[in-house]
Amino acid sequence: MKDSSEKIIDKSGRIVLSFFVASAGLWLLAAALLAYLAAAKLTDPFFLAGYEFLTYGKVKIAQANAFVYGWGGNAIFATTLWVLARLSQAEIRGRAYLLFAGTLWNLGITFGLLGILDGHMNAHEMLEMPTAVWPVLFISYSIIAFLALVIHRSRKHSETIAPQWFILASLLWFPALFLIAWNGLEFNPARGTLQSVLSMWFGQSLIWLWLTPMALGIAYYIIPAIMGTAIDKYYLAIFGFWCIASLAPWSVVHHLEGGPVPIWIPAIGTVMSIAMIFPIAVASTNFHATAFKNIAKVWDSLPLRFVIFGTLSYTISSYIGVIFSLPAVAKLTQFSIINEFHFNQRVYGFFSMIIFGIVYHMLPKITGREIGKKAKTFHFWTSAFGVMMLLLAFLIGGLTHGVLAQQPSLDWASSVISSVKPYFLITKIAFVILGLSQLVFVINIWKVIFPNPFASLLDSSSESEGKSA
Amino acid sequence: MNNIFKFAAGIFATLGFAWLAFVVGAGMQFGDLSPEAERLEDNGSRPEGVDLFPLALSGMAQQGAEDYLALGCMTCHTQQVRLVDSGFDVERGWGERPSMARDYVLQDHVMIGNTRIGPDLANLGLREHSDVWLHQHLFEPQSLVPESICPPSPFLYDVINGEAEGSMQVSSSEDDEVRHVFPSLRANRIVAYLQALKQNYELPEMSFVEDDSESVGNEVLAETDVVPASPRVLLAQQIDSGEKIYTNFGPGGGLCLTCHQASGLGVPGAFPPLAGSDWVLGDKDRLIKISMYGLTGEIEVNGVKYNNTMPPPGNPPGSLTDGQIADVLTYIRNAWGNSASPVSPSEVAAVRASVKGRDSMQMWTAVELSTNSKPEND
Repeated sequence: MKDSSEKIIDKSGRIVLSFFVASAGLWLLAAALLAYLAAAKLTDPFFLAGYEFLTYGKVKIAQANAFVYGWGGNAIFATTLWVLARLSQAEIRGRAYLLFAGTLWNLGITFGLLGILDGHMNAHEMLEMPTAVWPVLFISYSIIAFLALVIHRSRKHSETIAPQWFILASLLWFPALFLIAWNGLEFNPARGTLQSVLSMWFGQSLIWLWLTPMALGIAYYIIPAIMGTAIDKYYLAIFGFWCIASLAPWSVVHHLEGGPVPIWIPAIGTVMSIAMIFPIAVASTNFHATAFKNIAKVWDSLPLRFVIFGTLSYTISSYIGVIFSLPAVAKLTQFSIINEFHFNQRVYGFFSMIIFGIVYHMLPKITGREIGKKAKTFHFWTSAFGVMMLLLAFLIGGLTHGVLAQQPSLDWASSVISSVKPYFLITKIAFVILGLSQLVFVINIWKVIFPNPFASLLDSSSESEGKSA
Repeated sequence: MNNIFKFAAGIFATLGFAWLAFVVGAGMQFGDLSPEAERLEDNGSRPEGVDLFPLALSGMAQQGAEDYLALGCMTCHTQQVRLVDSGFDVERGWGERPSMARDYVLQDHVMIGNTRIGPDLANLGLREHSDVWLHQHLFEPQSLVPESICPPSPFLYDVINGEAEGSMQVSSSEDDEVRHVFPSLRANRIVAYLQALKQNYELPEMSFVEDDSESVGNEVLAETDVVPASPRVLLAQQIDSGEKIYTNFGPGGGLCLTCHQASGLGVPGAFPPLAGSDWVLGDKDRLIKISMYGLTGEIEVNGVKYNNTMPPPGNPPGSLTDGQIADVLTYIRNAWGNSASPVSPSEVAAVRASVKGRDSMQMWTAVELSTNSKPEND
């Protein structure tokens, strides 16, 4: 009977989850296109230079927002609702409201990005979309988060487990972060560099307190679910969770090192960044000790392969991040394209890879249709290769950029930036590979979500039976 | 963890602590900074009738800031000169001093930025580019800086046929053809904004970093050079040379700046100030001895106790010559509002003779210095 109750849950979310996954896919493609445009403009400044709505600055910012809010936001809604429903053994309710709120969210981001390209950018990190769209985004987010909490409250077992903590925390932290930042930047705008502290804090916390716990929660859910074993050293998870909760909001401000703010702000950020090695170690132990017990199984299951790629990426690059927060290193790398390394590693190498994994795990269950193995394998290898290429280019390029920038005798354009140009070219190629990879991913999920209506007519009736079952 | 309300209270509390620090605490500390005079009186009051800095931007420049933001310039350009210890921004000539929080209090959009694909622009207005140069750069950066990857903004200009009143010449690297263009209102506003970007004033909390290539220190000297009296010139030369030793932390430098800071204010709780210090303004003998051998252990400066170690100054340690010690001591006795008699190389030589035989790495203690020297009435 357990199976059938799970099927009822999956069925309850079919339309809503398909909507969010399908929209996430479109945003992923939009972000890929913008990423390519930005990279192409860096390698050739004359590329599309005549169009005012496509300046590098605008395209770059629009890309980050499409990636985080469009792809990230929709993917978070889909996975949150499904994982919470599965863990609560409760159906997804208020589907009409979810669809309405989801539509609002997507419309808000569409207008927000158009606003950025039209020249209405805000100066706040990850809050660059025009002021007018934020109330809409906040309301739609609140509706979705509320309905996700309703699912959680109607759970069969009162005992909660690690995936629920991380996912719920992520769900609740975003609106809290937003209200704090919005109050300090728009309602009662702070003066001077206090604005910068707040905007930097929001922009970085968004990654650390919204995307990161969400991806960790999914990993805590999917690894034991597919492996069929419990998380190794599970008792550490609660320690890891509260470490992230209490350290991450402090650690992000180390990016202000040497800047026009009181020295204690970056200093405390550095100290807390170093302390972050504890939660990183906990998550790494939990995931990898479990996965490496039966690595063959991980390799055989594509969703799990994506997830473990993501968790490995999280571990390695979080440690790299700790090193780059040390003042002696930050001095070199702080304003270099290492920042792109950090962003892409977190949002792509870690968060997105885990989302790919859960989408491949979830979609067949809610739609009843499988995605071709070849397509998935192609997607995995091109993504893995593209991400590594991108990250290495930004890492090595960033170090070159930073070290040369610290030689006052070197001319800026002809020496420092010219040395970084080859790396821009590599990132452009990497974005082409990734774009191709994402195109395959999106076409496949769309094919599963919206099967060709004529296929059943042309083909045998077997497929239409599978659909209605 | 099982009750969602308790759980939410917990995770909001952890976030709340950071909010208390970065929003409430930081807001109380520097949320209400206001423009200030370049220097304050000794008692901390503001002198009468002086300009307060930063100055407000002109209306044109303020609108230019909006355009700068809208075009996304901030994505590649920072507007902050980092502290001397945190990067070589001052050495690169991006500013005469590190940027302070006070520099930004009058700006609607604070755009300190976080990535430098282009150079820092905090002091672009000080780089003596003409308006025409900036317009040409906006129209096509590559016509002036061939290696630049800054995107051209031709949409800010109207290309016209032939010359007309108020038009300007621009060239393009594509076809070497000279064009005549009218800058749009937006282009003019952006240039007004870029020219207004300058932190060319000192603040009570940060003075200019003196540097060989920078003109500020030399300007002061140029004025004193006019005075014919030779002792005055000698003093100025000594101060100039001492300043270089003070700020230089490369080989042959004094490394003083590292702890006592460019402001001469030291680091509260760790390194004593030199500005207004009873030790610096007092007995020369002690100062010379410290400059040769360093100092360790507890020391009381202006009634505040410090406990730290000062290795023999110089790079390598203890390498300063008599002349260098004389210059750097003369500098610190006459910088940051200090005013005391200069130290001559012969005085240093005399002290060196008196401590002959002392182990070169044996640092002084404050007690040792105060027992074997007599106070000087200077």
